[in-house]
Amino acid sequence: MTTSFHDQVISILPKLRVQALALTRNRAAAEDLVQDAVCNALSAQATFIPGTNFPAWMHRILRNRFISNLRKRRDTTDIDDVPQSVFATDAAHEDRLALKELGAAMNRLPADQREALVMVVVHGMSYEALAQATGCAVGTAKSRVFRARRQLEAWLLGDTATAKPAQRLTQDLLKARLADATGKTASV
Amino acid sequence: MKHPDMNDPKPKKATKRPGESAKPEAFDLWLKRGLHQIYDGVAKEPIPDELLKLIEDDRKK
Repeated sequence: MTTSFHDQVISILPKLRVQALALTRNRAAAEDLVQDAVCNALSAQATFIPGTNFPAWMHRILRNRFISNLRKRRDTTDIDDVPQSVFATDAAHEDRLALKELGAAMNRLPADQREALVMVVVHGMSYEALAQATGCAVGTAKSRVFRARRQLEAWLLGDTATAKPAQRLTQDLLKARLADATGKTASV
Repeated sequence: MKHPDMNDPKPKKATKRPGESAKPEAFDLWLKRGLHQIYDGVAKEPIPDELLKLIEDDRKK
């Protein structure tokens, strides 16, 4: 059975929302961006060649729309808006602190790195698919993910001696967590 | 599906700081779990009716 164009649009909406949130860092802006991208896709459906990579086509439309919106108006995102809902989970307090720090660190990454990391880690996309979806070379896609991961590690596990007190607490907690996970004693 | 190694494209140098005892794999695992906690909820939220209506209206054209 062939999936219709409109069915494909509906089925990719959850992933578009994640991509939009990764780019905008703001829930309301992400919803607007998805809606705008869907409108663009519906208008341009005649240009989509059936049998070709629909997810890449759709992710690229959303990305182009995001860039276009950025050019029209300066980014007015609320940097703390992204992950607030997840902090209200029943996870341990320390885990919530570490998660909040991760959310803040994600928001500090450049948008293209944040988008790349989310699409690979959360969506399980291959580098080839990421390259197609974002219109870049495979090497560039790899590099974005690599730099995002390395930057997060530096921020989150960075030099405890020079970190601010709140950061130091999170770094110590995270190091302890990771040391537990690897069966080692944390030397924090 | 090929699942890429996030330590690509270059082999990581042994640049551990003193006192840094966690393995890179442990950080990757924690990062993956954390990102899922942050972003999965958004993907699971119901699609707004107006967006679905927009798509369905276009389908009828």
